[in-house]
Amino acid sequence: MKNVDQKKIRSLFLSIVGLIIFFGFWEFAVRTGLVSGRSLSAPSDVVQTFIAKLTQSKPDGATVWQHFLTSFQLALSGFTLAVIIGVPLGLFMGYFKGMDLFMTPIFEIVRPIPPIAWIPIVILVLGIDMRAKMFIIFVSAFVPCVINSYLGIKLTSKTLINVARTFGASNWQIFTKVCIPSSLNMVFAGVRTSLGASWSTLVAAEMLASTRGLGYMIQMGRQLIRPDIIIVGMLTIGCTGAFLAYLLGLLEKKVAPWRYK
Amino acid sequence: MMKAGVQNKLYYLLPVLSVLTLMIVWVILAAQDGSLIPTPYETLSRFLGIMANPISQATLPLHVWVSLRRVLLAFVAAILLGVSLGVMFGWNETFNSFIYPIFELLRPIPPIAWIPLVILWFGIGEFPKIFIVFIGSFMPIVLNTHSGITSIDPLLIKAGQALGANRTQLLFHVALPATIPAILAGIKTALSSGWMCVIAAEMIVAKQGVGFLIVRGQESGDTALIVTCMLVIGIVNAMISFTLTRLEGVLCPWQFGKTK
Repeated sequence: MKNVDQKKIRSLFLSIVGLIIFFGFWEFAVRTGLVSGRSLSAPSDVVQTFIAKLTQSKPDGATVWQHFLTSFQLALSGFTLAVIIGVPLGLFMGYFKGMDLFMTPIFEIVRPIPPIAWIPIVILVLGIDMRAKMFIIFVSAFVPCVINSYLGIKLTSKTLINVARTFGASNWQIFTKVCIPSSLNMVFAGVRTSLGASWSTLVAAEMLASTRGLGYMIQMGRQLIRPDIIIVGMLTIGCTGAFLAYLLGLLEKKVAPWRYK
Repeated sequence: MMKAGVQNKLYYLLPVLSVLTLMIVWVILAAQDGSLIPTPYETLSRFLGIMANPISQATLPLHVWVSLRRVLLAFVAAILLGVSLGVMFGWNETFNSFIYPIFELLRPIPPIAWIPLVILWFGIGEFPKIFIVFIGSFMPIVLNTHSGITSIDPLLIKAGQALGANRTQLLFHVALPATIPAILAGIKTALSSGWMCVIAAEMIVAKQGVGFLIVRGQESGDTALIVTCMLVIGIVNAMISFTLTRLEGVLCPWQFGKTK
């Protein structure tokens, strides 16, 4: 028992030392001019810029908070729409043979095109407003939702289905009471992938055509040669992504707790 | 019995019907007044045009090759470094607790968000694009290798130990072969992520490559060119994942068919 504790403490200690060395070296490299200040900012400067950007809208037109809200709203609306449409579609495709045969070919043709490649045509057709970006995020989040829900149903244990049938369950009952619960973990894995995909596609869309948002902010940071702004943007993007994934994990534990037993 | 036969025939028809529907929707969308979407015919002739007439001193195959070369170069580096780092994370506890937190800190940042910083660092030449693809494909390889090597059946390790293998032998003869499926899964994710990163990087700054071509289409309002590029990008992506699935069958036949 004591041995385990010691191991934990040792590993925690090593982790902290590792992080301190990482940040220390970073700070040192910039301060001593080992790395030019035009290409990298010291961690202390990044923190300062972050605090300043909380209230200041210079030089890129909006505060971090405003950029964040714009991106967050967009990502979440596109993502939610994709989950609402994609998950049921995948579930139905997995269970009903007709749906499967009809939808799968269309899906297989569209699927290999990365969401980023949709950006130019969508911008030309829909313009650069909210709708265009929502559509692109929708495309990026839609695919993993459908695939995983589909696979989740397909991977349902045949034994479970047969047991339900023996007890006289109807087709619809088997679908809702057996297949859907058993596919939930796969569905959640898909939703998690979707979330990551929509967040990173959003950044790309904002970098290419936008006047506000975190992607726009880092792109402006590049044009103004302000590495501190870029890094603040990158960290905000990273933290938000990690936080959203964490929230989703909590939800999964609530809805489908059996995987964690 | 009779009814089932008819139903089966109907099922065979469905995939054909589905592709037809897709084409009809496309044609309808394109045929609308003032529609910006090109018809399939326009797309095809644009495709043939760009096969013969170069844009920015390159025909379509050359643009595809430029993009693919960036992905492949980055990919070799990502496999070499990613697999060794993943193995070290999984095999050496001290190294793991020392370095993994730093890795964990950088991981949630999408590769695309690195583009501005990488351009500041290395300019707009060939290397920065390769570097971005490297970031995009490095992460999945490390993560998969790591989780693969930590989830090996402990029985295998114990059997190895019982037969007198030392730690190096255990790593190379037991742990690594057992991790191959996980590494391959990582490689698959890495390649499609790398292909996406190269398109993104080229869309932001490049003089050649498919990503450049698609933005050129956007800037000149040439929607037929955009759709051609989208299809080409999709086809290349599909070919990459097809090749990798075949490779999986060759490298770890015991796994083939078990995972999708």
